[in-house]
Amino acid sequence: MSHAELTMQQVHGAVTEERPYGFQSKKLVMWLFIIADAATFGALLFAYGYVRVGSPDWTKPFAFSPTILNGIVMTFVLLSSSLTMLGAVRAASAGRRSAIRWLSATMLLGTAFAALHLREWFTMIREGWSPSHNPLGGSPLFGAAFFGITGLHLLHVVCGVIAIGVVTLLYRRGRLDASYIETTGLYWHFVDLVWMFVFPLVYLLNAR
Amino acid sequence: MPSAESSSGPGMKFYAVLWAGLLGIVIVEVLLTYAGLRPLALTISLLALALIEAAVALLYFMHLKHERPILFWSLIPALVFVLVLFDHLWPDAFRVTSMRLPVSASSTPAGGG
Repeated sequence: MSHAELTMQQVHGAVTEERPYGFQSKKLVMWLFIIADAATFGALLFAYGYVRVGSPDWTKPFAFSPTILNGIVMTFVLLSSSLTMLGAVRAASAGRRSAIRWLSATMLLGTAFAALHLREWFTMIREGWSPSHNPLGGSPLFGAAFFGITGLHLLHVVCGVIAIGVVTLLYRRGRLDASYIETTGLYWHFVDLVWMFVFPLVYLLNAR
Repeated sequence: MPSAESSSGPGMKFYAVLWAGLLGIVIVEVLLTYAGLRPLALTISLLALALIEAAVALLYFMHLKHERPILFWSLIPALVFVLVLFDHLWPDAFRVTSMRLPVSASSTPAGGG
């Protein structure tokens, strides 16, 4: 017997072996990307903690209104988008066309989150904040940490909205199946998961 | 089209309850922020609540609970290991604080007087 015959289970017309994870490779790739991205955000948050501990003149500029209030609304919007994404995955798995509506709702909520975030950014920039300048006279590293972390998260949100849009369009045309929606959903839930750390560590810990 | 996951499992009502629970945790975080806790206690509390939220999102929203255990053991321990390695930087951060040049009370700006 050949080595191939000994090590592989042969079926008619093809040679296959059992998948260790039990799902498609694109889902495993997405999980691997998520873990790598989680390490990236972890590194950024640790760097923020590092410079904060090392800066005795660290500024805590966020008032409850409007900043923390805006943060609560943003968190509500992003959590709701995760719920609608779950609805989309379930509907697509069951072959229901309502998956399109759920995906559209997710995109709408993601866009709303990005809009709220940009509005906050522009308000801070008008007040004199930048990655290298602190208008309150404290450590300029506050701006670097804030814009760096929230900017990377915002980039993920925007890319996620675009990806959901592309998948929605192709799913509607019948060119993609429900597994693509599930994989995109994994990414979107990860973006929400990162915000669960960003909001308390970057916003709430800098509330005055 | 073949479904990517089983149609059995938790319904939307269950996920809505989880969603409400996560919102509740966010409200608790905000209340703790203005409860007058010491900085270290507040940081630990917020981090603990964030980890609970992350666990709920990972296990239920991302369906890690319903996947094969090999997926969990392939991914999560490696990530935890990396995050623990980051922890070794904290002593440097505290050392940097004590290495800052002290501001002398007798120093005056140039051109004074």
